Amino acid sequence: MSDPVPQDAVPQDDGPQDAVPQDAVLQDALPQDVGVGTVLDHVREPEEIPSAGIVSFRNVRKTYNVGEANAFTAIDEVNFVVEDIEGKGEFVSILGPSGCGKSTVLRLIAGLEPQHPPTVGEVRVMGRTVERPGADRGMVFQDYTSFDHRTVLDNVAFGLECRGVPREEREESARHWIGRVGLSVENDQLKYPHELSGGMRQRVAIARTLILRPRIILMDEPFGALDPTTRLNMQDLLVDLWREVEATVFFVTHSIGEAVYLGDRVYLMSNSPGTILEELEVEPPNRPALEMQREVPFQETVFYIRDKIATLEEER
Amino acid sequence: MTKEPESIPGGAVRAAPPALPRAQPSAPPPRRSPGRRLFALRGDIPTWLHVVLGLACIALIFLAWFLATVGEPEFRMVSPTVLPSPAETFSSFQELWFDRALTRNLIVTLRRVVLGFALACAVGIPLGILSGCFALAQGLLFPLTIFGRNIPLAALIPLTFTAFGIGEWQKVMFIFIACVMFIVSDTATAIRDVDQRYVDTAWTLGAKRRQIITKVLVPLAMPAVFNSLRLLFGLAFGYIMLAELVKLGGEVGGLGDIIRQSQRRGYIEHIWLVLLIIPFIALAIDRTLKAIQKSLFPYQYGGHGLLHRALRVVGHAWEDLKGVFFSREVATTQAGPGEEDA
Ligand SMILES: Nc1ncnc2c1ncn2[C@@H]1O[C@H](COP(=O)(O)OP(=O)(O)O)[C@@H](O)[C@H]1O
Ligand SMILES: [Mg+2]
Repeated sequence: MSDPVPQDAVPQDDGPQDAVPQDAVLQDALPQDVGVGTVLDHVREPEEIPSAGIVSFRNVRKTYNVGEANAFTAIDEVNFVVEDIEGKGEFVSILGPSGCGKSTVLRLIAGLEPQHPPTVGEVRVMGRTVERPGADRGMVFQDYTSFDHRTVLDNVAFGLECRGVPREEREESARHWIGRVGLSVENDQLKYPHELSGGMRQRVAIARTLILRPRIILMDEPFGALDPTTRLNMQDLLVDLWREVEATVFFVTHSIGEAVYLGDRVYLMSNSPGTILEELEVEPPNRPALEMQREVPFQETVFYIRDKIATLEEER
Repeated sequence: MTKEPESIPGGAVRAAPPALPRAQPSAPPPRRSPGRRLFALRGDIPTWLHVVLGLACIALIFLAWFLATVGEPEFRMVSPTVLPSPAETFSSFQELWFDRALTRNLIVTLRRVVLGFALACAVGIPLGILSGCFALAQGLLFPLTIFGRNIPLAALIPLTFTAFGIGEWQKVMFIFIACVMFIVSDTATAIRDVDQRYVDTAWTLGAKRRQIITKVLVPLAMPAVFNSLRLLFGLAFGYIMLAELVKLGGEVGGLGDIIRQSQRRGYIEHIWLVLLIIPFIALAIDRTLKAIQKSLFPYQYGGHGLLHRALRVVGHAWEDLKGVFFSREVATTQAGPGEEDA
């Protein structure tokens, strides 16, 4: 077991350090620094860390429609572990070619059917095998999932209502979170989802999840349907909120820039049947999205990953 | 691809646009010839034209009716025992209204449909919800649904007399039987049609199974349920006529009974009048239901949703009241990934 190489500060002024050509990167012994990130020499497995980790996958395979003619193995041999960093939590981005099983991984953590249970292997959360979905693992989907018949206020308060929190109390809390995600309490709380823009709906979805203070937040392309400007705003919002809620976030996205910007850690998945191909540790987002994503080392990391994914998509 | 500037008959000739016409923000949209506009595929026509066309249709029908029934009874194209003239028909309205007690009979009819339909809703909606939520219930109810939806209802009338006697009960139960299985299966379908992503979301927000039914599936299915109820009510209104046309002794009453008696006593013009009135009543009912529907589901049909907001307030008041009388236990700890939920 080799320790992950600690990230060193990357000089911000003069482009790619050491000017390592791309193919050399691929051949060189790992771990390897790439821009703002470090590619680990292998994906860490559950045995390699002393604690149980907050989420761990051990030899997980998921085959849909087992025993039928259209049986399809979406992921296989998935092994990884994310540490439980006390009082902080990690931000884990998951990247990969489309159809490689990113959503499958997320929904296995959430315990949602039909992905749950795994066909083979074990999915553990906080040391216990996942058996059912629960409010400790909040999820934000790409599709808008605000309940159409509920006002913004009632949508955000939904989880507390299910928990039996009295109305006054849960509405006060909901108002707090409506404000925290950048909606106007005064103007928006009594609106219905159909009166909101896509970005506003995703803010409602985020507030609705965060109000329950989950230890784990699963986000499946939450900004996939938003326009680029809204998307950048939402990225900044997420960074902001995440510092406050101290949760471990799993974030699936198609945007490599988004993954590298938001993530402390990036998992790169292979073609289906998907498995975790590479694990990168990257600089945390300590600057506004627009600023950081313009910098050269940042771009270097993005290009490194983009080439990998392009190769994967060609291989299919 | 440039378009030829179109000449507008009788209109001002516009200057030909230079080379490529550029869309001007304030310029009126290019006009098409009236013929093409009126016959546009799936297009619209002005409201006034819509009204005029409708009136023209009515006028044509009246003209045909008038021509077919003009002259002395013996020399008419259509015998007055089949079709009285417009004048004869409308002059008998007063008689229908007062002597035949049109309003009272209308109320009798409506009461039967509403009672039977309400009963069908009271039984059908809960069963439909069960059968939409649980495949077990659906499997159990499947044969009943198949029978209920496919039995020729008119053939059931004799049996309803045997089972429910010759009074009001028989007509109410006939409507109940006619509607209940449609309501069950439409409600079940509406529940099944609620997108799974709402259920998944509710799970990840910690909802229990019962809460997913009451707080997610049922409310999200309601717009579709209400819409099918509205259509079924129209159907029920048709079935009640059928039930009222059949008499087995005793007092019957209702619009259908007016038609039946008029036929036996030779008041043909009353039959025609009732037939003219029924669509108006059906239309009025449908419009009312549509208005209620819009008010109940503003997120589906727009508008202020007064009824919806009123229901929300009532729901809150109810919850607050319950809170006063029953101290509820608030789950402070979250169920972990492997813990049993209550
Ligand atoms: N419920 C399902 N039944 C059968 N196949 C599925 C199901 N869900 C996903 N798949 C298949 O599994 C593969 C991975 O799906 P998914 O995890 O959604 O990929 P991603 O999110 O990476 O695009 C895809 O090829 C998809 O067609
Ligand atoms: Mg996906």
